Amino acid sequence: MFLTLVRRELLDNLMTFRFAAAVVIMLLLVVANTVVLIKDYELRLADYNTAVKTHRQELREINKTYSDGMLGVWGTMILDRPPNPLSIFNTGLDKRLGNKIKVSHTFVPTIWDANKYEADNAYFNILTSIDIVLIFQGILSLLALTFAYDAIAGEYEHGTLRLVLSNSIGRGYVLVAKYIGAMVCLLVPLLMSLLLALILLTTSTTVSLDTDDFLRIGGIVFTSFIYLSLFYLIGMFISAITRRTSTALILSLFVWAFLVLVYPNMILTAVDTVPRTDTKTAAYNQIKQVWEELERKREQFLRNDPIPGESWSLGLDFSLSFDDNPSRLVYHTDIAGALETIDEKSEPLVPHAQNLFRFLGPLTVSTAERVWLIRKPAFEEIYVQPANRGRILLKFSPAGLYDAATEAWAGTDFNGTRDFFIAAQRYRQAIVNYFHDEKIFASRQWFSSDQGAVDWDTLPQFSFQRSDISINAKRALPDLFLLLTMNVFLFIAIFLVFIKSEV
Amino acid sequence: MWHIIKREIYNNLNSLRFALTTVLLLALMITNAVRHIREHPKRVQKYHDAVTASMNLLTSRAEDSLYTLAHEGPGTLYKKPSPLHFCAASGEALLPDRVDTPHGSRGFWRLEYPDVNINMKNVGPDVSQIDWTFIIGYILSLIALLFTFDAISSEREHGTLRLTLANAIPRHTVLIGKFLGALVSITIPFMLAMLVNLLMISSASEVHLNTEAWGRLGIILFIALLYTCLFLALGLLVSARVQRSAVSLVILLLTWVTFVAFMPSTLAALASGFSSSMSQHEYSHRYGQNYHTFRRTWRHAWYQSNDEKMLRIRGEWHTQIAVSGERLAGEYLTFKITQVQRARAITSISPAALLQHLFEAFAGIGLDRYQQFTENAQRYAREYREFVVDMERGDPESRHIMGVRQGMSQKPVNPEAVPKFEDTLNLGQDFNTVAIELLLLTLFVVVLLAGAYLAFVRVEI
Repeated sequence: MFLTLVRRELLDNLMTFRFAAAVVIMLLLVVANTVVLIKDYELRLADYNTAVKTHRQELREINKTYSDGMLGVWGTMILDRPPNPLSIFNTGLDKRLGNKIKVSHTFVPTIWDANKYEADNAYFNILTSIDIVLIFQGILSLLALTFAYDAIAGEYEHGTLRLVLSNSIGRGYVLVAKYIGAMVCLLVPLLMSLLLALILLTTSTTVSLDTDDFLRIGGIVFTSFIYLSLFYLIGMFISAITRRTSTALILSLFVWAFLVLVYPNMILTAVDTVPRTDTKTAAYNQIKQVWEELERKREQFLRNDPIPGESWSLGLDFSLSFDDNPSRLVYHTDIAGALETIDEKSEPLVPHAQNLFRFLGPLTVSTAERVWLIRKPAFEEIYVQPANRGRILLKFSPAGLYDAATEAWAGTDFNGTRDFFIAAQRYRQAIVNYFHDEKIFASRQWFSSDQGAVDWDTLPQFSFQRSDISINAKRALPDLFLLLTMNVFLFIAIFLVFIKSEV
Repeated sequence: MWHIIKREIYNNLNSLRFALTTVLLLALMITNAVRHIREHPKRVQKYHDAVTASMNLLTSRAEDSLYTLAHEGPGTLYKKPSPLHFCAASGEALLPDRVDTPHGSRGFWRLEYPDVNINMKNVGPDVSQIDWTFIIGYILSLIALLFTFDAISSEREHGTLRLTLANAIPRHTVLIGKFLGALVSITIPFMLAMLVNLLMISSASEVHLNTEAWGRLGIILFIALLYTCLFLALGLLVSARVQRSAVSLVILLLTWVTFVAFMPSTLAALASGFSSSMSQHEYSHRYGQNYHTFRRTWRHAWYQSNDEKMLRIRGEWHTQIAVSGERLAGEYLTFKITQVQRARAITSISPAALLQHLFEAFAGIGLDRYQQFTENAQRYAREYREFVVDMERGDPESRHIMGVRQGMSQKPVNPEAVPKFEDTLNLGQDFNTVAIELLLLTLFVVVLLAGAYLAFVRVEI
């Protein structure tokens, strides 16, 4: 009997016009957008590859000394953030945040120090962009509601519910049968469009997906399924309590408009989530003080230097590298040297310079780390906290939960994007350790290339792997769990309403 | 006919959807107003501070000498914030609000256009703001469909249509009656929400709406009604063609999702993805080439000689570099904006994109407005340079060699006499830029209404 019910539901849904229309619309939109998104990803990947090549080349061609590579103006050591191929599914922050970051022992790199490649026409950013999850978020939920609004109310109106229940079958089974029948039907457009998107992805030569990526896509599909089910249950709930199809339809559409369209935009319009820049000044002053302390120590060291009356340039052709930008909480200063030859007259000065840098290098590193302790909470307060507040408010809508969970799967959420910058911080630490171990700060090559240029290949090399699938899962789990709980609650509610209702 | 309209209105007023519509629209409009009242004074204050700083700079330069005025320029020019920011806010944060006037140590000032502000520091979630474009473009259009999807099909299902037509009423009267009834019953909550919104905004002491702004609001309101009519007509058309109201709603919803929610971004992405552009690199290259051409031509200008001929050559060199650099920057900007506008023109198949374009134009916001602002700045730059030339002619002691300190008047200029930059909006020009969009929207409405009429006349009952 149960199987008969499921089969009936399935056939009922499959033969309808709305099913055909749903499939066609989904396929059209997903295919059109996937083509565009893949092209966009390819362009970004090409930009990334050229940038990696030029940055590598520039570092080797322009910078002959260590200090110039760390502090110079041109061709310094720069890391590039690769675009995430799963941004095709959910763009998240992948496109918005900066994608090149400088590595230097004078500061610990963060998201907020990164820069972007120059776009050919940045005005295109005015046009709104779209990704596959956004299509699912809008259309799947709408489809689920159009499938659900007459699930109970329709049968009630036609009197078929009475017929079904006159058989010896529990009311719970009827509900489950309806649910299974409709969900199987709804899965068809979801899976078909995903399949087409995947075919397009795999035919593209530049997009390379590994096993983990397919598992992540699996996670996105699973989340989509839970989201779909939630909206189907919302529709069913409305159908069960209103018991009239026309009322159920209107009510579910308003609920849809509110949850998907209105609430996410309205809550963030009403509550301010823009970065709070007013707290910047205090942190900046602190940072400046720390660096001024270093400057004082440097001056003291120079005063006690055996060569009296010399400035920081020591009579050699050093330059003062200086960066002061209150809006970015940046203040650092160091001495850089890019000497190509040292004549005999200056040769006696070299040991002094080496002494200076032996003193200054570790001091700069420790100052940078002290500044990091100030910058970290400041950035947290200015940028991360308002953003998190916005995210939490968004979680009151299933659409927000869905978006957050798929972002986490794709690795384009805040944590996923930050992984790259954490890797950059780790790389900086590796470089600094290397400098310590090899006594680079005190070496001649720190400021002069007269006895041979720096071989940049001997330094530790940077490599970045996106986080493991288990970490993606861990990040997506809270939102996924919330979605699942909502599903269960709604199902219980529907069951209670349906059990108690008169037929 | 009045009878039909009245019946429709009564029917609608008592329905659930009417109550829900009122609540939803009120909530949205109040959010919009609160946001505007909170944000707008800050924007205006920032603009005034910036303009005052610019003016002070100009005054100090004028008091110094005519040469300083000619050499350093008028200072940064700022775009006036629109008082109708609440009508169309999206994209405004991206567009630059100023035109820079940099100058080298010797070279002359020229206009330079800052790049788009991409906020790469904000790690918060990405959402569109609630502005009138959103409320009317998305929500009101959806509501219009909800009010009409069963207008004809449900009456046919219930058999009341047969009863109505059994009276001596022509079919078109019934249709027009239904249309007007739906229009009135949707206008009531919309007007109510809008009035609350405008009352809140206009009663806030910090926000000032002048007569022109009210006129523009009137036009915006008219466009909003036209847009609503479009969706009402669409609803009637589908409702008349389809036998069952459930099917009618599904068709309408899918049409809505495709044309309103996804078409604008998909088409824009398609268009922008497949148009090649002059790259930043190429522009810099052309700029550098230009510079070097001049350098070859005026090699002599570098001699530090003060005889009249050398001064003239050097002056010519400074002037030419400024003029050609400014022209190239202007051309590059126009090129980029035109490219985006072309991509946006393709999205005009979507009524929501049309509406956004129209709202932006009449609210004095967005890309067209930015272009207008840069044109204003260019006009001002010409005026300013003419003023300098005139003043230079008026000074008998000067050697009249434009472009070099030794050759120009060193007298201070009365700051009052220097032309000031006034960024103005021009309603006539706004009309011209969006005339086609307005026409297209009207055409859509007419076609859909005619379609609904034909469908209803031919339908069997």
